Amino acid sequence: MNVYTIKRSVLDGFTFSFLVISTLIATVQPSDEQVLNMKFNAIIFFALYILGIAISVVLNSNGIATLGETLFQPPYKKSPETKSWYKTFSGWQLLAIILGLVIVGLVKTKFSIYELLNKDGFEGVIRLFKKLLSPNMDILPQAILDMIETIFMAFIATALAVPFAFILSFFSAKNIMSGRIPFMIYLALRTLFNVTRSIEAILWAIIFSVWVGIGPFAGMLALMIHSIASLAKQYSEMAEVVNDGPIEGVQSCGAGKLQIIWFAIVPQVILPYIAITIYRWDINIRMATIIGLVGGGGIGTLLIQYQGQAMWPEVGTIILVIAVVVWLMDQASAYIRETLK
Amino acid sequence: MSVPILSIKNLKKTYPNGVQALKGISFDVKKGEFLVVVGLSGSGKSTLLRCVNRLIDPTFGEILLNQGQTKTDIVSLKIPSHIRLLRQNVGMIFQHFNLIPRHTVLSNVLMGKLSRISTFKSIFGLFSQDDITDAMKYLNLVGIADKAHMRADQLSGGQQQRVAIARALAQNPQLLLADEPVASLDPATCHIVMDYLRKVNQELGITIICNLHFLSLVRQYATRVIALRDGELVYEGDPKNIDEAWFEKIYGVGTKEVYIK
Repeated sequence: MNVYTIKRSVLDGFTFSFLVISTLIATVQPSDEQVLNMKFNAIIFFALYILGIAISVVLNSNGIATLGETLFQPPYKKSPETKSWYKTFSGWQLLAIILGLVIVGLVKTKFSIYELLNKDGFEGVIRLFKKLLSPNMDILPQAILDMIETIFMAFIATALAVPFAFILSFFSAKNIMSGRIPFMIYLALRTLFNVTRSIEAILWAIIFSVWVGIGPFAGMLALMIHSIASLAKQYSEMAEVVNDGPIEGVQSCGAGKLQIIWFAIVPQVILPYIAITIYRWDINIRMATIIGLVGGGGIGTLLIQYQGQAMWPEVGTIILVIAVVVWLMDQASAYIRETLK
Repeated sequence: MSVPILSIKNLKKTYPNGVQALKGISFDVKKGEFLVVVGLSGSGKSTLLRCVNRLIDPTFGEILLNQGQTKTDIVSLKIPSHIRLLRQNVGMIFQHFNLIPRHTVLSNVLMGKLSRISTFKSIFGLFSQDDITDAMKYLNLVGIADKAHMRADQLSGGQQQRVAIARALAQNPQLLLADEPVASLDPATCHIVMDYLRKVNQELGITIICNLHFLSLVRQYATRVIALRDGELVYEGDPKNIDEAWFEKIYGVGTKEVYIK
């Protein structure tokens, strides 16, 4: 039993149980109550999974390569001759799983050509666009004011995140954290960053709006937490690929750990760090807009207010302001990053 | 001339991947000599030098550094601050110079003072006037004081290596390690750098251990030579006595010597 047979079994087992269960649901048409019966369904799923693995093992030991076998087998086992896909088992298996996924996907998303071509719905959209495209310029000053709030929310979130991320980045760079205990710290930090980043900024905004109240402060804190984790990860990846020469040079002069980082690593990473930071500010402005939708303050909050009242000309003005600012920031950050290279 | 400044006994280094770079090497380095280490790439020359200033931790053996009254066994040093103290006395220059490219020449030479200044002061660049004067003195010695305020990466290879020598001298070392100092330089520049090393050796009395590829350079500059092959010491003696027979023994049968003028 080696790693590749485990991978093979996971894939083949999943393919089999997925296809069988999809077919079962399509033919039996179970009630909602039956579908929600998790215990029973899980038992069926895993029973089929194990059956699928068994079939996979039997097929492979009889010389019929399954999809899992074809994908994960080590190079030395690959046969030199290639057959057309429709003459192989794995080809048909791949086709079946793709078809299965597409069909289930279409059903799950309630895909409907009829709704898409519905005349009433279509006219509704045209009405909406007419209103959006005749923006109400009376609220322009308010929109600009709130946009400025959003820009500064993003700016302060980035600026406050930088010192934390800068220091943390050296503790989460593999080449600096050599030795057993430093490596544990490295692993712990990397895990922490990944967990923090996998929680979307919008969720952090909800958490902080409970903590400090709805408004730009909550939005700023949410962006800051998210930025610290993202920046620290990107920074440390830059620190990991520095040239070892200057490190050795400074080390041979009797420098301490901190001096090595400051004199040999920082000069090499400072420009990439600045480029990453500017890009993060750019991303944060876009994120700040979204965060406003859940009460994080700024232009997003204004947008959700007018949208809730279906005041489309006002929404049009706000979208216009957002589009202009995002486009300008995008251009500016691309230009600055280009000159820094 | 007869007191050994460094005596190495049965030095072994095995890397984590199982490669035995040094298989038990013993030799003495006398005070004031210009000792050259020759051998093929991968014979253990670089490992040997890096064991002396502990850029690499040796696996076994003894390296005794003799500083007048006190004798230190370099291999047994464990605490980082003791290793830093050792590096005060042992300067090193490298094949690829290993300067900080974005810093000025002067600030690169001041790196040599890092072990003698507090971390806090060094990070804010608060080097004393004495340190700066000292750094300028060594830049003068290697003849590039006029380039002190240029960025290090704007200099040619030979000039960068001279900055590296000045940096090592700023440590005020007793021993200077040179790992292939001219291997990435052209033949003309190569002699300039070697001449400066000889000057350092003769005028400042700093003992030099230098890895070299070309035997013609060895005959010209070395006072004594040792040869490594597959991590073992195969020759020790006067550079003039290396004849064709010895050459084949060091570099393998059927190889020919290349001369650079």
